[in-house]
Amino acid sequence: MSNKPYRLSRGGTHIDRTKKVQFSFDGKSLTGFAGDTLASAVMANGQKLFGRSFKYHRPRGLVGLGSEEMNALIGVGEGVRHEPNLRATQVEVFDGLHAVSQNRWPSLAFDIGAINSKFARFLPGGFYYKTFMWPQSFWKHIYEPIIRKAAGLGRAADGRDPDSYEHVHLHCDVMVIGGGLAGLTAAKAAAALGAKVVLADENPTLGGIGDLTAGSIDGACVIDHARAIGAELLAAENVHVMTRSTVVGHFHHNYLMIFERVGDHDPALLADGAPRHRLWKVRAKQVILATGAIERPIAFANNDRPGIMLASAASAMVERYGVAPGVNGIVFTNNDNAYLTALSLKKAGINVRVVDSRSRSDGTLVERAKSEGIEVSMGSVISAVEGNLGVTAVKIAAYRKGQGRVITERKVACDFVAMSGGFNPALHIWCHNAGKIKFDDALQSFRPDRHADGMIAVGAANGNMDVSGTIAEAVAAGETAAKAVLPKAKFSKFKAPDVKEPTRAPLESLWFAPATGNYNEGNKHFIDFQNDVTAADLELAQREGYESVEHTKRYTTFGMATDQGKTSNLNGLGVLAEATGKSIPEIGVTTFRPPYTPFSFGSIAGVMTNKLFLPIRRTSVYQWHVDKGATFEPIGQWRRTYTYTAAGEDKQGSITREILAVRHKVGLLDASTLGKIEIKGPDAAEFLDRMYTNMFSTLKVGKCRYGLMMNELGFLTDDGVTVRLADDHFLMHTTSGGADRIAAWLEEWLQTEWTHYKVFVTPVTEQWAQFAIAGPRARNVLAKLDPDFDISHEAFPHMSFKEGKLGGYPVRVYRISFSGEQSYEVATPSNMGRGLWNAIIEAGTELGIEAYGTEALHVLRAEKGFIVIGDETDGTTTPIDVGMDGLVSKKKTDFIGKRSLEQSYLKGPNRKQLVGLLTEEPTDVLPDGAYAVRVVKDKPPMEMIGQVTSSYHSPTLERSIAMALIENGRERMGETLSFPLEGGKVMRAKIVDPVFYDKEGARQNV
Amino acid sequence: MSELFIESPLAHRELARDLSIDLREIKDRGMIDMRGLTSDKKFMAAAKKVLGVDLPKTPRTSSSWGDVKCLWLSIDQWLVLCAKSKVEELIRTLRTELAGVHSLVVDVSDMRAVMRLEGESVREVLLKGSSLDLLSDDYKPGTVRRMRFAEIAALLHIVEDNVFDIYVFRSYADYTWEFLLVTARESSKVRLFGDQRS
Repeated sequence: MSNKPYRLSRGGTHIDRTKKVQFSFDGKSLTGFAGDTLASAVMANGQKLFGRSFKYHRPRGLVGLGSEEMNALIGVGEGVRHEPNLRATQVEVFDGLHAVSQNRWPSLAFDIGAINSKFARFLPGGFYYKTFMWPQSFWKHIYEPIIRKAAGLGRAADGRDPDSYEHVHLHCDVMVIGGGLAGLTAAKAAAALGAKVVLADENPTLGGIGDLTAGSIDGACVIDHARAIGAELLAAENVHVMTRSTVVGHFHHNYLMIFERVGDHDPALLADGAPRHRLWKVRAKQVILATGAIERPIAFANNDRPGIMLASAASAMVERYGVAPGVNGIVFTNNDNAYLTALSLKKAGINVRVVDSRSRSDGTLVERAKSEGIEVSMGSVISAVEGNLGVTAVKIAAYRKGQGRVITERKVACDFVAMSGGFNPALHIWCHNAGKIKFDDALQSFRPDRHADGMIAVGAANGNMDVSGTIAEAVAAGETAAKAVLPKAKFSKFKAPDVKEPTRAPLESLWFAPATGNYNEGNKHFIDFQNDVTAADLELAQREGYESVEHTKRYTTFGMATDQGKTSNLNGLGVLAEATGKSIPEIGVTTFRPPYTPFSFGSIAGVMTNKLFLPIRRTSVYQWHVDKGATFEPIGQWRRTYTYTAAGEDKQGSITREILAVRHKVGLLDASTLGKIEIKGPDAAEFLDRMYTNMFSTLKVGKCRYGLMMNELGFLTDDGVTVRLADDHFLMHTTSGGADRIAAWLEEWLQTEWTHYKVFVTPVTEQWAQFAIAGPRARNVLAKLDPDFDISHEAFPHMSFKEGKLGGYPVRVYRISFSGEQSYEVATPSNMGRGLWNAIIEAGTELGIEAYGTEALHVLRAEKGFIVIGDETDGTTTPIDVGMDGLVSKKKTDFIGKRSLEQSYLKGPNRKQLVGLLTEEPTDVLPDGAYAVRVVKDKPPMEMIGQVTSSYHSPTLERSIAMALIENGRERMGETLSFPLEGGKVMRAKIVDPVFYDKEGARQNV
Repeated sequence: MSELFIESPLAHRELARDLSIDLREIKDRGMIDMRGLTSDKKFMAAAKKVLGVDLPKTPRTSSSWGDVKCLWLSIDQWLVLCAKSKVEELIRTLRTELAGVHSLVVDVSDMRAVMRLEGESVREVLLKGSSLDLLSDDYKPGTVRRMRFAEIAALLHIVEDNVFDIYVFRSYADYTWEFLLVTARESSKVRLFGDQRS
């Protein structure tokens, strides 16, 4: 590898020679200019080697011009800001840029993994499938870890990403993808008709490859013409232009995703807090695809050596960055366009000759090259490449179309090769959402055909490779797209500009250049550079019977790397076509899937990280809970206190303390999350009769009733207490998790089935903060808060409701109990929730009040045998199963689920029924979900006859308790069941009544 | 009795700084949820009599009279806005006038948190959490729209050009505030369309 600087003394439209930048590559400090890409700056320093290949660890250099680059994948940034697998052609250099090459060890020039290359004959296509299939257990523990270590790309960053990301939504009439001549022209035409246009281009500047295009428009060179349009668009009110923005996906109804690199090129922006990347979600009415074309490599022996690049990339090095790819080059082509590269190189003072596989061409560029004294070898191909870390010489062999082996060849010294196998329209985005494509014989490539969405392809993306045709097509497309959105717009009278451009002779496909000797002997014709797939691999797969191109792709991994086959796809199809004797359209193409280029996970996450990872719902007392050492439990998106642990206490200790406070003194629970729904109308009572299993039309005003709700299948879906506020007005309570679902459920029945009912349903869950004051001293707390509030048992019995004020706060008080104790649920408008809570605590302190959490709540209710929907029920549980037959009305003519309960299988024997369980050993707590089995065996399978639904240590009873759903449970009272656990232990428990405490319910009724 | 302790949903959050918009909580808004049938002349007449203005029938619009505003929520539901001090009286009057008329009037003043967003880049900020076409002419002053914002349900009311109120359920206030603090940062300001020559 030569260290001779390759920066030319002149030229470089993209660089500013007055601004030097200092960056590092693999620890070496290098100098570049502002405007350089990492690719050009490294090349300018004489370095051609950028990385090692995926499978064989072969040395690799730069190949491409932009996002199609498949070899020069680089890790950029240090520590937490490191990002792997970036294309060097797209990384803009800045002062302090830190870049490293990938997949090499210990160094780029000397790589141990390259030994794979020596064993290449043992690594054919489908190697992984053939080798690692047996024995099966080896895959997980031996093969996969080794493959993962040896293969691969860069490493991920260490630690959390310090940068920010965000999403933005945007709507437009016309979305133009690509800011080259075609895209700019189309955008201008659409905007002129009044359409709202968004134009996105993945490069830092507009103009596409106008600077690498021969010809002139109205006397101006192509790039100047394009940039002038760009300036007009930037100034236009109805156009939004985005650069450094790649359209990564196209989805149904012209929904597009754009990945914008906001701050990667400028650390100062990031330091100011700008987001590093933005993900744009664009909804466009019409889309214009102007993504240009991607040059094809040529499959010739050892075509992957550093120094062999696409002709367009070589041109860009010279024209844009003033960098010489070498001093003595060969342009290897099957078309006229690459002659432009030869002319560029010649003009820059670089020695160049052309090798052209065609027998003849009379194109203008060819004539010009010859007249400028460039040596042109027609009917020739490169048959061998010498050199390992770089090119030292090639062999040029005489060739006629279709020739399979080399007859005569000669060696020519050179240090780089610029190749061009023609151009493929970049139609990936056309195909993301099932756009149809067709094969074009002149291009020897696929081009867009039909699309079901409003999408039009223009310019090179549509296979239109000349300037005048592109302009006409782009204007028509822009106006057509605008007119589709704005029917009143009028087409302009198109006046073709004066375009001068070279005439071109047709290209001739060249899918495989014959090689010196037998190409399987170390002369690899790479098709997919990134995944190390050669022409021989594809032919082998074909011989092995992989007829479908999709199967071939998966078997050989061709087209499956991060570049998604941008440069390899068509060459692979060409090889397969020649191997099978079929045409390329008969072979077919593989599926194009988003993303077009890889984009960051950060941009996908957007701001939805850390505190915004999930929406969290907080009650009005949330901060009090936090301050009191609450451990939170997620209930839907709510965070409810699980238990309040004080200093020197463990969770079991605090849960026990909370439970005993409720049983012996008084406890306070934040129950604000309970669903609350107001239901009003002349038919409200009848409506509730239909929604619940039990009767509500008989409920007296001011009274509460517990209700069970089933779905149409007869299965329990919710429960809760409903209050009759007035004759036609009810307030329904639902479970915390069921609040939204039940409100929607009620609306659905009203809107779709019982449209004749006059009932309004308004969810008011969040209007109210609601607290349960439970325990033998509950009434004393209320009395302290307001002596005038008549709370005597007679005036305010269990299951009744009162409105009034407590501690000055307006309240609704429900005398209901989920703990079995004397209990009041007190509701106040949410903004007063914290105030009332404080007042209750203050009033209750001398009575020994303790706040309790959801775990204490659950133990308390389990001691009483109260069910929880979702614990004791699993979506296949009926009210009968849980022993609540009494709540299923026999009188009502109809209610939801009634008919299903009559089905034989819900009435039949062997249903699982709710029972209580007492373990033989009182300190044993059965695990939740433990299975009861008919007969205990040494190992599974064992026949299971039911499962534990809730299980706790009960401090009140000083022993464990559990509930379970057991086959014919109620008939088995007194029976002892076995519960085999993990590790061979078997717990035994006796079936008992599920009400463990205060069976007659006396405590809540005083 | 000591003074009542009343706390708005965002009382615990500090004033927002370094944002590309002005962001604050509106703490004193009275809100009444009204249900009724537009086909019921008695209902519509009673509502107008009390509110001073017709309830809007056109989807996604609002009507106002004095400091009372009626936001369309669905074909039979409105959110009536007024000063918080007037809620009790307004509800009482509405219920009296609507006696015997199929309707439901509920005080929901504490159910939602209200955030006022003001400034030239309000629409751009909201586009970071909403997929609505907020730059289109459909979104003019008076527009009311239920929307998905960030990952939750919200209600959007365009008060004046560049003055937007968003309503979210009270429990999501903190989440929404946090989302706006992050997306409205001056350093992440977005400009859409218009002259981009800098």
